Amino acid sequence: MSLFWYLSVSFVLFFCGIAVMIARKNIIAILLGIELILNAAALNFAAYTRFLNQNLDGHIMSLFIIIIAAAEAAVGLAIVIRFYQIRESIHIDDATQLQH
Amino acid sequence: MFDKLLFFSSFLLTISGAAMVLGSKDLVRACIALLACLFGVAGLYATLNADFLAATQLVVYAGGVVILMLFAIMLTGGSNNAVNRFGINKVPSMGDGKTLAFGILSGAVATLTIFKITKNVFIDYNLQEIPGYSSTVEQIGQLLVTNHVLAFEISSILLLGALIGAAVIARPRKS
Repeated sequence: MSLFWYLSVSFVLFFCGIAVMIARKNIIAILLGIELILNAAALNFAAYTRFLNQNLDGHIMSLFIIIIAAAEAAVGLAIVIRFYQIRESIHIDDATQLQH
Repeated sequence: MFDKLLFFSSFLLTISGAAMVLGSKDLVRACIALLACLFGVAGLYATLNADFLAATQLVVYAGGVVILMLFAIMLTGGSNNAVNRFGINKVPSMGDGKTLAFGILSGAVATLTIFKITKNVFIDYNLQEIPGYSSTVEQIGQLLVTNHVLAFEISSILLLGALIGAAVIARPRKS
């Protein structure tokens, strides 16, 4: 259980998040991909804190990443619900105008 | 031994959950796979001796973000294929084999994570001296109110802005 395993898990999470963001056409699925990417970053911070130095600044950073992910999910889903009220769709190709 | 068991089950759960978020067609199923993946990440935090982060991950993500995403999927009707591949209406059931495997593995990882976090309570409690207490909660709390107090306060303002902004944006408008 060296640093390599944690970095490989983080890499797989990041890759799956990028692939979900590119491949999916659903706005909520893209938000799921963003959550995966943020988790990969937070896992990297915690792993480097454990294996490089023992001060807890990386944990603080992961904590703020979790806070920002929660705020981002709330605002993003509010925008998605508002978009669905206007366009009756959550397909990404329907989002072509900033105002209606 | 315990750490290896926790690490490999978390590893398997994280990788397979992320792959299933990528691969599944149904949006609700992708969201449940994301929940399993986040349980796995919490287990990885527990193996990294980051117990406060593991507990925060379990509470904030599993209790908040994924439930919020499920509510948004239900409200926008994102998963409306009520017919299976043979053209028969689906019956609401307890899920198939993959979902059950994810559920069992998630439950195991969450149990091991909670046991790892609260391990200090269970060992040496019948000895007379106070057992060695190794938790990162006190150090993180001290860092948050000394070195990182500005970011802490700004994050509270950010959360307040996100709360009000989400309520204003998602409000139904009469027109």
